[in-house]
Amino acid sequence: MENNIIVKERFNWPVTILLLLGLFTVLFPLYMTVIIAFKQPSEMTNDVIGLLSFPKAWSLDNFREAMRVTDFWRSLFNSFLITALTMVVSIVIHSLMGYAVARNMNTSKFYRFSYFYIVSGMFVPFAILMMPLVKQTAQLHIDNMFGVIVLYVVFYMPMNVLLYAGYLKNIPIALEEAAHVDGASTWTTYWKIIFPLMWPMHATVAVLTALGTWNDVMTPLVIMSGSGVNTLPLAQLNFQTQFGTNYNLAFASYLLALLPMLIFYLVAQKQIINGVINGAVK
Amino acid sequence: MKSQNERKRTFLLIAVPILLLFFCFNTMPLIRGFIYSFTNFRGYGKFDWVGWRNYEDLFTDTRVGNSYWFTFKLALVATILINILSLIMALALNSKIRFKSFLRGMYFIPNILGALVVGYIFSYIFTYILPALTHAASMLASKTWAWLAIVIVCAWQSIAMNTLIYISGLQTVPEDVYEAASLDGATGWKLFRYITFPLIMPFFTINMVLCMKNNLMVFDQIMALTKGGPAQSTESISFLIYNNGMNGGQFGFQSANAVVFFIVIVIISVLQLRFLNKREEQL
Amino acid sequence: MRRKLIFSLLVVIFMASCAWAAPIEIELVQYKPEAFRIFDALAEKFNKTHTNIHLTISSPNEPVTILKTRFIRENYPDMIGIGGDMNYSNFQDAELLADVSNYRGLAKIKKAYIDILEGLEFVPTPGVFGVPFMANAAGVLYNKEIFDAHGWTIPESWPEFIKLCEDIKAAGIRPLYSGYKDTWTTLAPWNALAVDLAPADVCQQVNMGKTTFAKEYREIAEKTYALLQYAEEGPFAYSYNDACTAFARGESAMFAIGNYAIPQILSVNPDLKIDSFVMPGSDDPNGQTLNSGVDIMFCVMEACPNKEAAYEVLDFLLDPENIQFYVDDQNSVPCQVGEFKLTPMLDGMKKYIDAGKMADYQDHHYPSEMAVDAQIQTYLIQGDVNAFLEKFDKDWIRYNRDIISKLQKYNASR
Repeated sequence: MENNIIVKERFNWPVTILLLLGLFTVLFPLYMTVIIAFKQPSEMTNDVIGLLSFPKAWSLDNFREAMRVTDFWRSLFNSFLITALTMVVSIVIHSLMGYAVARNMNTSKFYRFSYFYIVSGMFVPFAILMMPLVKQTAQLHIDNMFGVIVLYVVFYMPMNVLLYAGYLKNIPIALEEAAHVDGASTWTTYWKIIFPLMWPMHATVAVLTALGTWNDVMTPLVIMSGSGVNTLPLAQLNFQTQFGTNYNLAFASYLLALLPMLIFYLVAQKQIINGVINGAVK
Repeated sequence: MKSQNERKRTFLLIAVPILLLFFCFNTMPLIRGFIYSFTNFRGYGKFDWVGWRNYEDLFTDTRVGNSYWFTFKLALVATILINILSLIMALALNSKIRFKSFLRGMYFIPNILGALVVGYIFSYIFTYILPALTHAASMLASKTWAWLAIVIVCAWQSIAMNTLIYISGLQTVPEDVYEAASLDGATGWKLFRYITFPLIMPFFTINMVLCMKNNLMVFDQIMALTKGGPAQSTESISFLIYNNGMNGGQFGFQSANAVVFFIVIVIISVLQLRFLNKREEQL
Repeated sequence: MRRKLIFSLLVVIFMASCAWAAPIEIELVQYKPEAFRIFDALAEKFNKTHTNIHLTISSPNEPVTILKTRFIRENYPDMIGIGGDMNYSNFQDAELLADVSNYRGLAKIKKAYIDILEGLEFVPTPGVFGVPFMANAAGVLYNKEIFDAHGWTIPESWPEFIKLCEDIKAAGIRPLYSGYKDTWTTLAPWNALAVDLAPADVCQQVNMGKTTFAKEYREIAEKTYALLQYAEEGPFAYSYNDACTAFARGESAMFAIGNYAIPQILSVNPDLKIDSFVMPGSDDPNGQTLNSGVDIMFCVMEACPNKEAAYEVLDFLLDPENIQFYVDDQNSVPCQVGEFKLTPMLDGMKKYIDAGKMADYQDHHYPSEMAVDAQIQTYLIQGDVNAFLEKFDKDWIRYNRDIISKLQKYNASR
């Protein structure tokens, strides 16, 4: 929308400055994470000064070692595969369901029920589902990556349907009706008109779904246990044992895992802002 | 008429398979869990049927009672705090600011950091840095204040997500609405109260529900910060369900706990949704 | 359908005819990920020297969750390496573990550790269900340099211990670091005192209605509380990790914890001279007992089809040479009789180890859902010993009623 404005862009400096000041709440913990990732275990102390001081040497050894311990590239590939597939399937299936629900909720009891049924699935504590799911996936022989993706698609359905249905409330039905008059089927209308209109929401859903799957330990741990396939968070468990944690290597590893997500977010958020909706609606 | 039927059929073809998938991997295991709640099952091996004993225990267990009180207190305060802050953040990040991408990226980082990092860093802040600044004892060691420390960390981590949802909501507000409103002389608070907020009301609903749900199920932050202490003052419901059900041998009992908890949150959320949906229509 | 059947029959026949050539596969899952290097090396050595059996040892992260989920799927490994704790009791009670009492190598295991396993069974069951491999030992770790510099000696009784703490305090040094923010660390001094002050089978006695915790645990509770005055200010703010760091940096002279904390402490300060002594809980110098439990044992699963092959693996693992190899790497205490070279950091406990004067961690008998560690933390914060013991007895009956009723049935049937 910024490019549509003809008058010369004027920045809101007071807000910018406030936001920059507020950044301290993020930068301070981040700073601590980074310096711990560079330190050696023998540099860890229990006082404020020792904690905030720079490491003795800025060496990348911790990062190298963390990559070796976690078998980084392979774990990264597995994590990436699971996250990307979950994301794509979720966007397709959940947006369709959100559409079906949003357009019929006010007139049909069935869809209103479906909406509440799916949304309420969000509140099932995972701990109660875990053991039955372990059994079920084993019986169906999907105790592997495929099974994990299926489970994620189901787990994130409530949140995403809620999001899509909410978003569609702000998209006027008139657009579809016009297409209908021209003879397009509901299916075609959806893919031609509605789906592209929801780009900002797709990007939001993509970020939230990807984030949840990227950091999740529990599902792959219990579903794929013993299969030897590692995701990044599973491999990161290497740094913790019952009686000791190597925080330095762990933090280095977490920083490495953070980067792909951050880049993905920056790309996705451009989609959110550049949403075509402003021009298309009304 | 024909096109009406075609529309109905298409919607059914979409909805039914998805509902079946959802039933298979969400409702079916839930039903199994519900059945286990009448047993003393450990998760594996043999078990006995115990009838309603688990449910009777649930209502007489002070630990479970305390965990409900703690969880709801935390969820209510955190939800309100997070929504206010993330709405402000969303408005700020969506305005015409300098370094927009950079700022949005930075403020998103807390949401990506893993629980181990967040727990470690904030434990350090609460244990060493804050007491050094304020000369007070650590919040995490205080029965009265530990829950507030958890609220702060929950907020720090989840504001990014709710901000993101508000930002995408703000994209549905057409620019010309603002132009029209500013021609009418609406600015600042008035513009927000009478124009922006009503338009993003559906997103307020979504955020309230999601936020409430996330906070009611708080688990990671507790494991990372207090492990339920001090003096069992920060044991959330999910903490009990997970620790005693999965790690302990109480799967049957905690299944009963999970079932009751599920019913309680569903009721709260459905009421919340209904109430907020009504408000949306009024606006 | 039929074609599939014929095909699978063919496969079975083919496999059977090949069986004479293929080695028997044994899969061992062990629960100490920190020892994975040593187990990998042992498996490699085994496979080099054995052609009839192929051994795979896996050392997964989150091992107990992995084992439990595999049990749910009924995908059992042949052998497991677990600790002598509640998980063992539960697995044994669920009849997942095979009776190995006919295994020859048991004769070489110290009786104290076989008894410890016996004591962990909910209901006394004839048979032996695990072969103890390594033990751990808990008590008090101390900073040898600080002790040597001041000429302090190892206390032999509770009054001597308190006097030592007073002396250390008078010298301007913090006697203890406790790190009670993590609830489980409260159990370290608790267990170490309990072996001196309560009968080893107190939980079983309570289950049989012979005594109460209010009677047996009062002294332990009071002495655990007494330690607080020698620890850091506000111990509930500091975690186990903080305590390890602080002790490693010489911020306290002693740390009431087990040998399992040594690697974490040394990671912060590799040059620290650590030694240990038995927590002298009793007022009588001859009344002290070492707090030692089974750190890792090997169990053969009931589902293992080839028990003889599993025994051969056990023979290999219990070979003195391999035991010494493990001990050198992990600073553990072997459960087998024989001359082994232990780490000097356990010098102070050696007397008790050699004499077999030891008892298991009391908390190995506590159901984890009762959260005794959290209850002890609560008591240490609030300081009301009567309320604590009353709640302990009341909760115990509730969390253990299935076990108690099983026991009653068992006793009635005898």
